[in-house]
Amino acid sequence: MTVEWGVIAVDQALQLPFSPSSHHSWDERHMTRHPRQRSWTPAEPTRRRFDLAAVGLGLLLLVATAGCTGLVRSDPVYASKAATTAAAAASAVETAQLAVQEAAAGKLFGRSLAQTLAEAASDAGDVQATFDAIQPPDGRADALRDQLDGLLTPAVSTLDDLRTAARRGHVDQLPSLAASLPRLDDRLAQFQKARQ
Amino acid sequence: MKKLVEIALGILTAIGGFVDIGDLVASTETGARFGLGLAWVLVVGVLGIIIYAEMAGRVASVSGRAVFDLVRERLGAGVGLLNLAASFFITLLTLAAEIGGVALSLQLATSVNYLLFVPIVGFLVWLVCWRVRFEVMDNAVGLLGLALIVVAVAVWKAHPQWGAMLHSATHPVVPRTETHTAYWYFAIALLGSAMTPYEVFFFSSGAVEQRWTRADLLVNRLNVYIGFPLGGLLALVLMVAAALVLEPRGIDPSHLSQAALPTSLILGKLGLALALLGFFACTSGAALETALSCGYSVAQYFGWPWGKLLKPAQAPRFQLVVLASITLGAGLPLTTLDPIKLTEYAIVLSAAALPLTYLPLLIVANDPAYLGDKVNSGLSNAIASVYLVVLVVASVATIPLMIISKAGGG
Repeated sequence: MTVEWGVIAVDQALQLPFSPSSHHSWDERHMTRHPRQRSWTPAEPTRRRFDLAAVGLGLLLLVATAGCTGLVRSDPVYASKAATTAAAAASAVETAQLAVQEAAAGKLFGRSLAQTLAEAASDAGDVQATFDAIQPPDGRADALRDQLDGLLTPAVSTLDDLRTAARRGHVDQLPSLAASLPRLDDRLAQFQKARQ
Repeated sequence: MKKLVEIALGILTAIGGFVDIGDLVASTETGARFGLGLAWVLVVGVLGIIIYAEMAGRVASVSGRAVFDLVRERLGAGVGLLNLAASFFITLLTLAAEIGGVALSLQLATSVNYLLFVPIVGFLVWLVCWRVRFEVMDNAVGLLGLALIVVAVAVWKAHPQWGAMLHSATHPVVPRTETHTAYWYFAIALLGSAMTPYEVFFFSSGAVEQRWTRADLLVNRLNVYIGFPLGGLLALVLMVAAALVLEPRGIDPSHLSQAALPTSLILGKLGLALALLGFFACTSGAALETALSCGYSVAQYFGWPWGKLLKPAQAPRFQLVVLASITLGAGLPLTTLDPIKLTEYAIVLSAAALPLTYLPLLIVANDPAYLGDKVNSGLSNAIASVYLVVLVVASVATIPLMIISKAGGG
């Protein structure tokens, strides 16, 4: 789903009763004639109800698609999405680092730790999947995607390893498994900063 | 002595019952993303709910009738229906978010998928609404919610630079990594979370359930003037904790687990256990309040017998609406819609519907036919009117800001 798609869908929804293709049939179905009237006029109350329904549907679609990302047609927009993706991945990495730090100090219950790491791994995987689903507009964007994927893939992999270890109760292994996270976090932050 | 105990209990439950999933999410997220740059909105929101909740409690105490009951009678069926439709929809969304929140709290403690808990939570909410006496229910969840004070202890133990924090809260700036539209979008979300419509409906209906009279106006004022600000303080410390621990690390929280990390970092396992208990209690309490509010609003509008003072057989349609609302509220998270996202939308849409809730209340609170000499004072009306303007502006800006900021995504 895309914001652009959402807006188009909303336009279509708003124009539903009045769009060129549907205008004729809508008129036919909803024109009524008052007994004293000679000519056909639109049935205003019905039309108003349709207007309200269309506006309501449009608003619902706008709200539903407001947070989505998707198709881009220019380099700067793609770079901006890459920066947002890097920030979201860095957030997951930082969450995992904090959880591991707390677990190492005996400040987290095993189940809470496992849950926190599972969510961090899932978030990182989701942001990578979402970003990779966006079509890069040109060759330069291809290079940008490869560069970011070079950071996201090891991050996702490390977070998956942490999740597995936490689920198995191998808390003592977590610090060594998380050793690469600070460097990845720094590189993600640099990537984001360079493209903001 | 009995009165003193009643007042103290009322204040404590008002504090513990103030925070719900909306406050948990909005305060933690804004603290992590904007530091204390949006703390002023929380102050504005808490002051707003104080003014209108006092009005709702006074209306109920003096007239012996709840808000929806009077809105329909005073403003007619059409306006009443508009008021009901907006409030009921938002309250139902909030109920779904609260049930999801309870399930997430349990998931955090057990690591069992929250979806397995959702039907159980829904059933338990219904059971409590059906069987447990109002005072027992209200006091139990309110007092358990006080466990969230642990977050305030964590903030205090972190030894923050109070002066710098105060400066940051009183000189708000938009961080370089954020956009102005995202800033204002979250400002509206915070306002919506602090002034959620169900709070006034539950408060006024609760006053009727507890048979408040003119003699209880002092209890009403103390509950609102002391309990609500202290409850708001809990929401503020959630924001401060996030600003202290999550913001410097660039963590943008999207899970309840992240809201607990600052407390566990500072206080360890005991702190975490109390924070989880607090999360569970405040979401459970709000789930009960929103479920009952759904029943209250519909039953009061249609003039059906309502309330927990009546046996279920004496208020069957009220109980049916409560049951149907809980079923729908539990069904929404079961579609795998993320409860945190659901909460974000509920509080933002709540902000969009706020004028529809508060304008009728303001009109009723000025009607001497219901309140006699206890109508709003000039000062109260002046402040409430300023708030109404703010709420209308926020309401109009909500959807455009949601679209432009991509629901706060930037």
